[in-house]
Amino acid sequence: MRLTAFRIRNFRSIVDTGWQSVSPDNITCLIGQNESGKTSVLEGLYVFHSGIITEDVLRSDLSLPEVSCRFAVKKGWLLEMAVNAGPELKELLSETDTLELTRYWLADFTSSVRVSGEVSEYLDSLEKAWKLYLDEIRSKIIDESNRLSGDEELLAKLSEKRRVLELSLREKGGKSLRRGLFGSKGSDAAEREVEIQHLKDELKDVSGQLEQLTIRRDSRADLITAVRAWNTLAGEYEEIEKQLNEVSFKLEERHQMMTLLLKPDDYDDKIWETIIDEYHRLRSERERLMGEIDRQTALCGFLMEGNSGEEAMVKVQEITGKYRSKYTEEMLGTACFEHTPVFTIFEDFGSLLPNRIDLEDIVATDSDIEGYKAARNFMKLARLDYSFFMQPSSRILKQTIENLNQRLTHNFHDFWQQSVGGKNKIKIQFELEHYSASHGDKSGKPYLEFWIKDEGERLYPKQRSRGVRWFLSFYLELQASALGGDKPIVLLVDEPGVSLHARAQEDVLKVFEDISDKIQIVYTTHSPHLVDINKLHRVLAVQRDDFENYRSATKIIDPVLLSAATPDTLTPIHSVMGNPFGAGFSDRKPNLIVSDTGSYYFLSAIMLLSGAELSFNIVPATSADSIPSLCNIMIGWGLKFNVLVFDNDEDNRAATFTGSTIFRENSDVAIRFQSPFHGVEDLFSTLDFKKHVVKTREGITVANSVYLNDKKLPRAFLASRLLSEINNGGLSANDFDEESHENFRMLIGRLKEIGKGD
Amino acid sequence: MMGEHLTEDLTETFTDDSHVTMKDYLASLRYAGMIQKSMLPLPALMTSLLREYFVSFMPRDFVSGDFYYVYRGRDFYCVAAGDCTGHGVPGSLLSIMGVSFLNEILQCQPSPRANRVLNLMREKVMSALHQTGVSGEQMDSIDMSLCIFTPGSYEMQFSGANRPLFIVRDGQLREIKADKMPIGPAPLVEEPFTNKIVSFDDDDMFYLFSDGFPDQFGGPLNKKFKYRQFRALLSEVAAYKPSRQKRVIELTFADWKGNHRQVDDVTVFGFKPKIII
Repeated sequence: MRLTAFRIRNFRSIVDTGWQSVSPDNITCLIGQNESGKTSVLEGLYVFHSGIITEDVLRSDLSLPEVSCRFAVKKGWLLEMAVNAGPELKELLSETDTLELTRYWLADFTSSVRVSGEVSEYLDSLEKAWKLYLDEIRSKIIDESNRLSGDEELLAKLSEKRRVLELSLREKGGKSLRRGLFGSKGSDAAEREVEIQHLKDELKDVSGQLEQLTIRRDSRADLITAVRAWNTLAGEYEEIEKQLNEVSFKLEERHQMMTLLLKPDDYDDKIWETIIDEYHRLRSERERLMGEIDRQTALCGFLMEGNSGEEAMVKVQEITGKYRSKYTEEMLGTACFEHTPVFTIFEDFGSLLPNRIDLEDIVATDSDIEGYKAARNFMKLARLDYSFFMQPSSRILKQTIENLNQRLTHNFHDFWQQSVGGKNKIKIQFELEHYSASHGDKSGKPYLEFWIKDEGERLYPKQRSRGVRWFLSFYLELQASALGGDKPIVLLVDEPGVSLHARAQEDVLKVFEDISDKIQIVYTTHSPHLVDINKLHRVLAVQRDDFENYRSATKIIDPVLLSAATPDTLTPIHSVMGNPFGAGFSDRKPNLIVSDTGSYYFLSAIMLLSGAELSFNIVPATSADSIPSLCNIMIGWGLKFNVLVFDNDEDNRAATFTGSTIFRENSDVAIRFQSPFHGVEDLFSTLDFKKHVVKTREGITVANSVYLNDKKLPRAFLASRLLSEINNGGLSANDFDEESHENFRMLIGRLKEIGKGD
Repeated sequence: MMGEHLTEDLTETFTDDSHVTMKDYLASLRYAGMIQKSMLPLPALMTSLLREYFVSFMPRDFVSGDFYYVYRGRDFYCVAAGDCTGHGVPGSLLSIMGVSFLNEILQCQPSPRANRVLNLMREKVMSALHQTGVSGEQMDSIDMSLCIFTPGSYEMQFSGANRPLFIVRDGQLREIKADKMPIGPAPLVEEPFTNKIVSFDDDDMFYLFSDGFPDQFGGPLNKKFKYRQFRALLSEVAAYKPSRQKRVIELTFADWKGNHRQVDDVTVFGFKPKIII
């Protein structure tokens, strides 16, 4: 698995780097002024792997960082991470050869890794579809809930009315009886009878309505229960959201304080721990409730369609299976992350070789101990572990140590060219010692002591120059990383060799080249000696958006667009490049690189014949093989350029190389002509070519370029002669036939795109 | 009779005791004629591309320096007639070369231009015959008329090397002129052939032909038939069915020639193109 690109958002000075590709040859160089944000880029990559951040990395708006990385994987590898995926997801994963992961942080600085990119878009689409489905039902539930409330109210009203009617009936009925018994006038009795009948009728009506309502309610008991449960869950969810917002606000306040280096008055570790625990709890609870509400919503939906309780439950299972993937972005992300390269950062404190280090500190990998990492690298390189030092025979131990010292020194000499004091070269040496009785608790405990010797003297690493110490430590780091386990490694190095002599810095580059087939390296530098001018496709320029304002956001510029970088940013390149403008290149117009002088003359002739006004400068390479070098020079000088490539072996080779290194995704830089155009001269019709270039009447049945090659004719001379005749007025556009002109127009059409889109 | 003059010509050659008898030679010529005929387009191909057609193909000898040609590409089809310098054996060799070159060129061109086909033909002929236009070298060449049709379109491309195209509509003949240069070395310098876009209707009758018929001597005063008469003949017969056209043309030729020797190979290729194939 190989890192191919990264994107960092909201990290220190970085708002959004956008996707930046690392160099395909595994060595990527970040150049830029001080305070441009180069180190932030390295640290951003490192935290992708480690997951650990502090308030220091937060921007002033306290937005939380996100770091995304793309990795090249074998097609179908992702399937192994999701064996039980549904058919659609399986199909997607089987076709994907790029893994995109994003690490994101929460307010409590915990982080998760999720898949992003294509896979995440697919999972999002499922999620969206699920949400849309639920939203539809949700609005119906709210309507239903209102209806149910209405029914309940009506039920209550009707019940009350019935009670009142029954009471009235009883009263009126009693009075009537009494009046009947004790005599009453005939008309009063009739009136009362009418009233009583009226009440009875009304009672009957109300009772009927009540019965209907009750039947309806009973028939929808399941739905009513479900809707009530839904309302309850919704209420709980709202409450949890409210609490979570309050806790998040407290966390933000704390971040704010910490970024301003102000401890809150009530600062107490235990209180903050409680708040963070509460934050986790509330998040989990919210996740759980969200799931419950979704299921309950789906259930209500099916009940509203008339399904029974049991049927609805079954359908909920089915629909959940249809819309919800077994795998979430986080599940897949976590599974894939286990296989990603290890990102390791070379920094001074842990990585520089110490004078001595206790064995138990090496074993404990205590990062608070100075030089522990360098010591571990040393042990790894020497292929030693703690048990080695338990060797009972001191003679074997000493001899083994002596042999190791010689081996390590010999290997190191391959890379360290610089001599100390002329002829002598340094030697690496380590020794196993034990603390004497005067060291109290440590008495008798073993420690390793490191020496850097030459014929003159034996000195501790700290007694040597910083440059020597750095180089040696760096060498150990690289070599140990190269031995590393199964996982590939991305090594991040900030300003390698800043203390080294120029030649030693060049040795650092050699070291990078040596291990680049096993380790991907991303490093920052100011030094021109650490930039290979023949491989400027490795360079990413880092600068501030507003270069006069060091507080503005960091941006990254890729190699092909280096012309947009400031001169200060490009200093390391410019200082080795010299002045470009004496070589006929233009900084005002785009430059069009062609493979050789013959092509230059032919193309110039066509430009004149076609009368096209094109604003670019034609630059001939010495041959197609030198096109990549010329591209490097253009990049180094920050010049705009394109390359004109025809369908022949040399041009194709140059185009393939530059396409995979320099141009990468910028395929517009190369203007390619396919068969039957194998060279610029093939744009002329055969007849025009015969008449005006080679001046022959013999039949030509092959391409013009093939004819020149087969007959071993002096191409550059013939092309130059043609151009000269046109310039002198000996030939004009009217002397060329419609086939030539049609091809010229096609060429002009393609070349007109140069310079557009700037 | 085809070949009778050939017999006369060869008599002198075979008066000695050559072990190759005239009979053998004639037999091989006849066989060569059969081979050449097999290279001509099959009727099935013709009917797939042409609504109606006839070909009056009358070689002077057993083998002909004339040829007629059709080719079906993916998005086009081509109809042509060629007249190679000379007749008999040399002419037939050139005609075979011409057919081969046409095949080669058209097979590589998804959307050919008629004039560019002739340009390419010329390169191939001059290369094959090692012609460089130097005085004194053999000036063999091919005259040709070539049409390219696009299915679904009532426009076609025409390019001619010394051979025109006649189109007859409602008895009126329209001539599409050719470039006055052959497929071969030009007297001074080769120029590109021109491409003409010609519109036509469903009932238009197309004619491609060699100059054998117009140049045939005969008639009461032993003169050439000439183009004026030839045009009138075609204008008259264009309304007939193809089979009748062929019969009338061949009878007219035979009548005109009478007992005179046939001067050259004769080809008259009449057709109505298909729009939808």
